[in-house]
Amino acid sequence: MKSIVNRVEVATNHEIELINITPHVVDLVNASGIQNGTVFVLSLHTTTAITVNEGLPDLEADITSMIQDLVPEEKTYRHSLFLPSDGQMGVNAPSHLRGALLGFQVFFPIQDGKMVTGSRQTIYYVELDGPQHRTYVVQILGE
Amino acid sequence: MIDFHTYPVMVKELTDADEVLAQNIHEVLGFHFPSQPLDCFLRELDEAGVEKAVILPLDCSTAHHCRIVSNEQIADLTNATSRLIGFASVDPRQAEAPAQLHHAIRQLGLGGLNLDPAVQRFYPNDPDSAYPVYQACAELDIPVLVQCGMSWAPGSLAKYAQPLLLEEAVQAFPSVNFIVGHFGWPWVLEAAMLAVRYPNVYLDTAILYSGTPKDVYRHVMAEQLGLDVMERSLYHKVLFGSNYPRIDIRRSVRGLRALGLSPAAEKAVLGENASRLLKIVRSK
Repeated sequence: MKSIVNRVEVATNHEIELINITPHVVDLVNASGIQNGTVFVLSLHTTTAITVNEGLPDLEADITSMIQDLVPEEKTYRHSLFLPSDGQMGVNAPSHLRGALLGFQVFFPIQDGKMVTGSRQTIYYVELDGPQHRTYVVQILGE
Repeated sequence: MIDFHTYPVMVKELTDADEVLAQNIHEVLGFHFPSQPLDCFLRELDEAGVEKAVILPLDCSTAHHCRIVSNEQIADLTNATSRLIGFASVDPRQAEAPAQLHHAIRQLGLGGLNLDPAVQRFYPNDPDSAYPVYQACAELDIPVLVQCGMSWAPGSLAKYAQPLLLEEAVQAFPSVNFIVGHFGWPWVLEAAMLAVRYPNVYLDTAILYSGTPKDVYRHVMAEQLGLDVMERSLYHKVLFGSNYPRIDIRRSVRGLRALGLSPAAEKAVLGENASRLLKIVRSK
């Protein structure tokens, strides 16, 4: 079994932003030579998310509104204090909690060299505390 | 909008090219997060709606044997983008500090001076070390930002950073505009007294101790001081400063806007007051 790990860097522009990374993941799968296996997509950050949905701007706006409603910026959070381990104020609890709700990874099967997805499924890298310079991992595992 | 209080200590182009700088940022200032490209800093300004930011170096040659971003590196950054306004730093404990400041302003084109007595370990009322630097500020017609109150830098000593220590210097150098950094927290009332009393004293809002910017600004400006005092006597003397990257600029702007200042006062704090001070610099 082969394991191919790709690190992909992305520069985000907004505090909350859904970035369609599907074409890039598909390209990596196609280039891997793996015929049967699994592709895992993971974010390396705790104030981001990886999610799957239909690739429509109105749904992107609805997802943004949903996470802002579920985890409002104005609520009082314990995570509002100085963090000596960072040298920064930790005041981004909403970003962390929104990431926890959306999740940090997705996976798809690979069959006959192709990623198996539904026709409407779009993989989003979700920035929740941007703008920042981010990294996600695409691991392709199989034969 | 102008952010009067940022540090370029997370700029990858600087830390990748200077390993010693990266180490000093960790050890002396206590920053422990990965660097990001300069462009990321500019996008953070965009997202916060901030047009320009003052970037601050710190010369702590005597206390810590280093400069945390040199004046030359600051000049390189300001040459790379017109959105950054570079301040200089010199170490008042070094005899050549006034001459270095003249060089930084006249040759490198920087626009003000940053001092951090708690980290640099000098008393800002010391006639032997501090006053020659203030005299140079007067000659160069530049403002001086003096970090006051609590510093998060490891090894800093707050005994050097009490705002009241500035009063005699403020009187001795009436043509120099002094900005009390961090609103002087926890000596907020001392700092406010200086700003109310003296036309050449300003305050910046880089107040970080606990809670969100919204919590902190409300506690200090609305509850400790009172918004009526802000509106009547201080709106023209307070400069928005985030203290980035100790905190994000977006949430700092939102916290300031949530205070409930009048539109005119909010506009003054978020940019007009800084523009006024910096135009003095530009008009030299």
